[in-house]
Amino acid sequence: MSDVDGAPILRAEGLVKYYADGNVQALRGVSLEVRNGEFVAITGPSGCGKSTLLHLLGGLDRPDSGEVQFRGEPMAKLDLDAFHARRVGFVFQSFYLLPTLTAAENVQVPMFEGPWPRSERAGRASKLLEEVGLSHRAGQRPTRLSVGERQRVAIARALANEPELLLADEPTGNLDSASQDEILRLLGQLRERRRITLVIVTHSEEVARAADRRIAMKDGRIVGAE
Amino acid sequence: MRFITLIGKNVVHRPMRSALTALGLSVAIAAVIVLVGISWNFERSFLAIYRSKGIDMVIVHAGSSNQLSSSLDVGMVDRLRRIEGVADAAPTLVDTVAFEDQNLASVLVDGWEPDSLLFKGIRILSGRSLRPGDDRSVLLGRVLALNLGKKVDDPIQVSGESFRVVGIFESDSLFENGALVLPLPDLQKMMGREGQATGIVVSATSSDATFLDGLRRRIESEIPAVAATPARDYVVADTQIRLAKAMSWTTGLIAMVMGALGMLNTMLMSIFERTREIGILRAVGWRRRRVLVLVLGEALLIATAGILIGGVLAVVGMRALMFSPTARGFIDPSIPIEVLGLAVLMGIGLSLLGGLYPAARAAALDPTEALRHE
Repeated sequence: MSDVDGAPILRAEGLVKYYADGNVQALRGVSLEVRNGEFVAITGPSGCGKSTLLHLLGGLDRPDSGEVQFRGEPMAKLDLDAFHARRVGFVFQSFYLLPTLTAAENVQVPMFEGPWPRSERAGRASKLLEEVGLSHRAGQRPTRLSVGERQRVAIARALANEPELLLADEPTGNLDSASQDEILRLLGQLRERRRITLVIVTHSEEVARAADRRIAMKDGRIVGAE
Repeated sequence: MRFITLIGKNVVHRPMRSALTALGLSVAIAAVIVLVGISWNFERSFLAIYRSKGIDMVIVHAGSSNQLSSSLDVGMVDRLRRIEGVADAAPTLVDTVAFEDQNLASVLVDGWEPDSLLFKGIRILSGRSLRPGDDRSVLLGRVLALNLGKKVDDPIQVSGESFRVVGIFESDSLFENGALVLPLPDLQKMMGREGQATGIVVSATSSDATFLDGLRRRIESEIPAVAATPARDYVVADTQIRLAKAMSWTTGLIAMVMGALGMLNTMLMSIFERTREIGILRAVGWRRRRVLVLVLGEALLIATAGILIGGVLAVVGMRALMFSPTARGFIDPSIPIEVLGLAVLMGIGLSLLGGLYPAARAAALDPTEALRHE
């Protein structure tokens, strides 16, 4: 269990989101609060709006109505590029590593927008890869890594600029059960060590069980929280 | 990792496409350098002729677009010499001849009066210059002598008539180095234009532009049906030079636009294929400006490769042209630094232009939409 200090890091109020064609309502008035240091799992069937909610919470997309606040500041007023670069890290189901770069170079990609001078980037990437147990694979390109290793590189990349918040969209969705356990254990360790807030969208009951709190969604609404 | 490393890896990751785009651009760059370079040297070489001889003005028959189509009475030279401001005047008859055995299709032949101002700027390398009373004598430019394998005292056939080489000269102008000079009467006889010249060159007492303008008006008012033009204007306005420049620029520009379109196509394809990659770059906080610079940087890197290859192709192309029978002696294979600079700037400018739209599209991508891209 971690240090949840009670102060909300994220607050969403009445989030509504339509898809581009305007006919499908992905979110129908979602409100939630995530506290500092908390590990929250968002669960629900495919197409229920979990990923859409995660993207809105991370400022990757804007709601059609409603508001997301980060530490009391409306997301709409934030410099979103700076927010993405420094305060939030994303982990995706498909990893999205750049195929031209090695593991170490992939980890350095967000650092171009971070506070680190060029001379420190390689060293920081090495440390991050060590933290996720991949220092021996630093020079490999993604195609030479197993899917579990790729996801660990993606997690190291998400931590590149020391974010306060880590948002993960089905981080174990493409992994076998052994790799899934590894990633889950790693996320737990990182959360303890770094005291970051973790919000995970997942289908996995195991991942959901590991969370402090579970938010269940269906048809664009929150249908349960425990 | 440096930002340039990322740019380089993206370019190298698609080697065939990047290489073909660079190659397409290099052909365009080479075309500009070779074509514009030739026309540039063409004009420069003509100007060198007039400058080295101290010629300030060229007189041709009014309405003639160049000396080859002009016809003037040689007697006009004395009238010109009497006009205030004229230091000296000399008739010149110009034609072209072929030396088929040596594959030289179009060699410039000048008919000059011995001791005229036209001999200024010419250095005799062997033998002697033309003398008054010389008959059936010919002076060969250094390059022509080399191409024909002739030396002093050798016999030579010019348009089926026999001459003797009395001297070999060198000039600052490539055209003169590839030309031959005959006594004016001999060439007049050969061309059936006795007493005629194609033009008269004038050396003025001052080279001041205002002075030359006044002299031009005096000449044209005192001698009817002639056009007097300051030498520099004459060269710049020469129909053949203008045509050569216009053609070289047009062809070069078309090639460059094709090169830029190739760049546009390559970068658009690259951006389309990497939509999700760009989405992740935006998701990790890359500002639009950085994405823009990344794509433009890739375009610039390909352009740099194209420019370097294009430069080499241009040098090889220029040298290869020297083997062409029609070009030999007429083409200066040197590449003017101004043309090189211009080609580099055009290559960079048009490549950036070709990369700008894909870069702007990439920078405008919304991260969520980009990550959803299949």
